[in-house]
Amino acid sequence: MSSHAKPGPIPEPVGEVLGQSVPKPDAREKVTGRAVYTDDLRVPGMLHGALLGSPHPHARILSYDTSRARALPGVRAVLTAEDLPPNDIGAVIKDQPLLARGKVRYAGEPVAAVAAVDLPTARRALELIDIRYEVLPAVFDAEEALRPDAPGIHAPRGTAHPNAASYIRLVEGEPDPAWAQCDVIIEDVYETPAQQHIYLEPCSTLAEVDPDSGKITLHTSTQTAFRVQAITAEALGVPMSRVRVLVPRVGGAFGGKVESTNQPITAALALAAGAPVRLTFSRTDDIRMMRSRHAARIHMRTGATRDGRILARQVRIHFDTGAYADDGPFVANIGSYFARGPYRIPHVDVECWCVYTNKLRAGAFRGFGNPQIHFASEVQVDRVAEAIGMDPIELRLRNALETGEKWLGGAPVESGTLRACLERAREVSDWHRRRERPPAAPGKRRGIGVAAVSHVSGLLGSSATVRLNEDGTVTVNTGAVDTGQGSDVALAQVAAGALGLSLEQLNFSRPDTDTSPYDWCSGGTRTTFTVGRVITQACEQVREQLFEHASAILQRPVRQLELRPGGFVGVRGEPGASVSFGAIAGRALYVEGGPIIASARYLFPAWQLDTRRTQVEGLPFMGNGFFVFAAQVAEVEVDELTGHVEVLEAWSVHDVGRAINPAATEGQVQGGFVQGLGYALTEELVWKDGHLVNPTMGGYKVPGVLDVPAAIHAVLLEHPFGPGPFGAKGIGEVGLVGVAPAICNAIRHATGANVRRIPATGERVLRALMAREEGGAKASDA
Amino acid sequence: MRYAEPETVEAALSALSTHEDARCLAGGASLVAMMNAGRIGPGMLVSLHRIPELSTITETGDGLWLGAMCTHRTVAADARLRGAMAAVREAAAWLAHPAIRNMATLGGSVGLADPHTEIPVALVAASARVEVAGPGSRRVVPVESLFVDSYRTSLQRGELVTRVFLPRGEDGAVGHHLRFSRVAADYPTVSISLVLAMDGDRCRQVRVVVGSCGPVPLHVDAADQRLVGTRLEAEDVAEAGGLLARAAAPIDDVRGSAEYRRMLIPRLLGRALSQARERAHV
Ligand SMILES: Cc1cc2nc3c(=O)[nH]c(=O)nc-3n(C[C@H](O)[C@H](O)[C@H](O)COP(=O)(O)OP(=O)(O)OC[C@H]3O[C@@H](n4cnc5c(N)ncnc54)[C@H](O)[C@@H]3O)c2cc1C
Repeated sequence: MSSHAKPGPIPEPVGEVLGQSVPKPDAREKVTGRAVYTDDLRVPGMLHGALLGSPHPHARILSYDTSRARALPGVRAVLTAEDLPPNDIGAVIKDQPLLARGKVRYAGEPVAAVAAVDLPTARRALELIDIRYEVLPAVFDAEEALRPDAPGIHAPRGTAHPNAASYIRLVEGEPDPAWAQCDVIIEDVYETPAQQHIYLEPCSTLAEVDPDSGKITLHTSTQTAFRVQAITAEALGVPMSRVRVLVPRVGGAFGGKVESTNQPITAALALAAGAPVRLTFSRTDDIRMMRSRHAARIHMRTGATRDGRILARQVRIHFDTGAYADDGPFVANIGSYFARGPYRIPHVDVECWCVYTNKLRAGAFRGFGNPQIHFASEVQVDRVAEAIGMDPIELRLRNALETGEKWLGGAPVESGTLRACLERAREVSDWHRRRERPPAAPGKRRGIGVAAVSHVSGLLGSSATVRLNEDGTVTVNTGAVDTGQGSDVALAQVAAGALGLSLEQLNFSRPDTDTSPYDWCSGGTRTTFTVGRVITQACEQVREQLFEHASAILQRPVRQLELRPGGFVGVRGEPGASVSFGAIAGRALYVEGGPIIASARYLFPAWQLDTRRTQVEGLPFMGNGFFVFAAQVAEVEVDELTGHVEVLEAWSVHDVGRAINPAATEGQVQGGFVQGLGYALTEELVWKDGHLVNPTMGGYKVPGVLDVPAAIHAVLLEHPFGPGPFGAKGIGEVGLVGVAPAICNAIRHATGANVRRIPATGERVLRALMAREEGGAKASDA
Repeated sequence: MRYAEPETVEAALSALSTHEDARCLAGGASLVAMMNAGRIGPGMLVSLHRIPELSTITETGDGLWLGAMCTHRTVAADARLRGAMAAVREAAAWLAHPAIRNMATLGGSVGLADPHTEIPVALVAASARVEVAGPGSRRVVPVESLFVDSYRTSLQRGELVTRVFLPRGEDGAVGHHLRFSRVAADYPTVSISLVLAMDGDRCRQVRVVVGSCGPVPLHVDAADQRLVGTRLEAEDVAEAGGLLARAAAPIDDVRGSAEYRRMLIPRLLGRALSQARERAHV
């Protein structure tokens, strides 16, 4: 955003480390199994925790009887809401008790917690807890839940929209009259599923309480040490000065471990039991009790002229946030913010509801509301291209926002590289040749599809401390959590590039709320971007301090000095004149000036929506938002007999600004593609009468190695710009965002079947194919 | 829970007889998973790992005896499983994923009788016979007689499967297994196993079995008969497939609706037959 686009050259790194594909420091220990995750930790006297899930999707709790569970030998604590402070939590709306209080709002919601000497005893104790319920009418569909007569999940029935968690309306131009100027209008309803994060490591916490000070120490698998600290303190009514959070290795998160998971309840168990408690979810409890991506239903209408100008769009989105708001209203913000797509559409009307239902809560998940809206938008844009007989990439190029143009709501696009991404994707995928539909295997049909992709990078606050050690090496402290995405190595490379050090000369510390500077969260495509930025800021201050000393030692003015690789300050143009960081540290520590240390902080500035341009309801500002662009292409083969879709090859072209670690960046792109492929074709939580049907790895289908194309070409463009370190832009989420529409556009190219609902399972695609064969194109929808 | 590791079949049988609720432990791929999920809690496990007899493979003039403890991986790698017997080798080669194929066994697949699995389907197609050892006696029975219902075999308490016989089949017969699943490592949504012998371009003999579409592997004589003597034209396949689809009793689950499975049967039958024919010609 313009507020931080202080024009100025993007600095060049010192030395060779930044830009190298150095291995992640944790790679070896993970491959060999030495890595220590939370569930690997054990301490003397440690108890095991387990939670009891509600058997009903919506019911009043009439009474508890925990006496039999308490009497079971080996049980050390049994908790229900009656034993906990009445403090609800929630990032946006504080609507969520640690254990259901008064009523349960989804099947599987934790209602009681047990700590016992071992897990089998804890589980047996759960079975001995008697709770009487009065079953209440429930609602499972977001649109139905908005009707005045729907059962109120939080509010009483009878309010106008009893289950609305948030509502947004954004209008630009004059959509109503604009439709008349359109030569083609495409209208459809799109549906996207509740995808589950399926991080390899289920949520896990080890809580210890110091008997004297009462200080709670949590070791936990999370994306954010500091939010866990804040939420645990808030939920238990203790000051943050009495809560410490440390993060061992994390086995993936993808948005599922933002805010809190099971930390507050594990802490409550440890307090109640007077002993350390470790609580690791089984896979099934993790799926039933944590969170998913928001299922969405999107009504969308897009109109364009015959020469390929998209003129008008109307969108109505329903995000199903389940029983608790969690990050839902924020997810809805992003969904609405991207409803126009990366296009200059002059007339737009977006309406977005985030709605409570009696299902598992939905929250943050890689892409954060954007994959849903991209699916609808990019499939619909393709249908517009088809209707006017234009190549899909050409239509996108004609409408792509360029640098200096405005986003929906008025924020400027500062580095508008969508065109570059699309053009490169067209070239590397050999688009025109493949678009001719090369012959497929017998019984298969082949097609290729594209999606233009945009996302945002960066939000909220980060800080870093950088200090010079006595021997001239450097310690970098941040609160950033590496959840497996590789930020530890990337951030170390940023520091290395800022000071000209090797990685051996850098000590990059792990998060600990007692000692690390604050970082909000490893989410929102922000860690390398935002924490990287504060590291460069702190390094810059350290450099100034180094130069002051070097100036005195070398007897040269500061402006003649330069950093040299390996930890030296030298005199420009005089190769022989230099002083080592170690010598400077010695002077600073023992002679003059004191320790060399710097800290830096940054709050990503929020964008105030421009109300002269946009009529705004419910979304006064956007907290995150440096725009990043990509183009994704997929080639598929559709089995005519079964409808099964196989992705043969994929191209994912991203402007990453600067690739700090190219291999790690490619890994993010490829991982994003695979998770997007699951979203497109196989992954979906399924409920029957409010009960999850498939909360197991056997029932929930994630793609495996054989389901993923051997070639996912990650193509990295480098247009350095913006507030990130050395012009780097975020890459963590965007690789997932356009995969589903690219695949579904390829399915339509191959077969003519218009897939409007994902996952595009074989069954759904086959039905669309059969309908098409029977009734012509009109009936070919899935 | 009690646990035993006998070294002979006889010792295993007597161990099984000591406890009301004793079960054989083979690869444990399904058994241990079901125990972990709390679905079963056997009073005693009798491991079959230390019984050398159960891992032997013997070739005879008319086929191959495979020990019950042969893993799927062993079965998939055995080049002697040619001709009709290839149906079983192909099923073993692609089921689940390498970790399961390394652990799970032929005998375990028979003992489990899981209707979602495909080894039973291929065994029925290959006209396998099973040797069952019980207290004091051994008997050999057609494999389909063991599968009585979903997760239920006709094995009596205290009996175990010792080995499986795969007949070589007629001259020129080829076996083929086709699996269709949502993701590669999943249980099949539908599987089709068949053994086919051609006379020129006419079908001389065929045995088609469908999996994941009912409580036990589905074999319909009339469907085979509808194909025998024909050139396996689209209409023949459609009618035979129709007979199978009508006889099927699939369920709705996350792998597909019952209706989808019924639709797939004739479609996949055509593909399985033409793939088998291609093989018959080489
Ligand atoms: C994740 C997963 C995916 C799978 N996917 C597939 C698939 O795609 N296709 C497929 O066909 N199968 C599949 N299977 C099933 C797999 O083939 C079975 O788990 C396996 O065959 C059981 O063999 P086991 O040796 O592990 O038996 P165990 O799990 O040890 O035993 C299974 C049952 O058989 C009994 N038993 C074992 N041996 C004997 C014996 N000799 N005589 C009598 N009873 C005995 C046991 O008492 C037990 O009741 C899958 C299994 C898993 C866990």
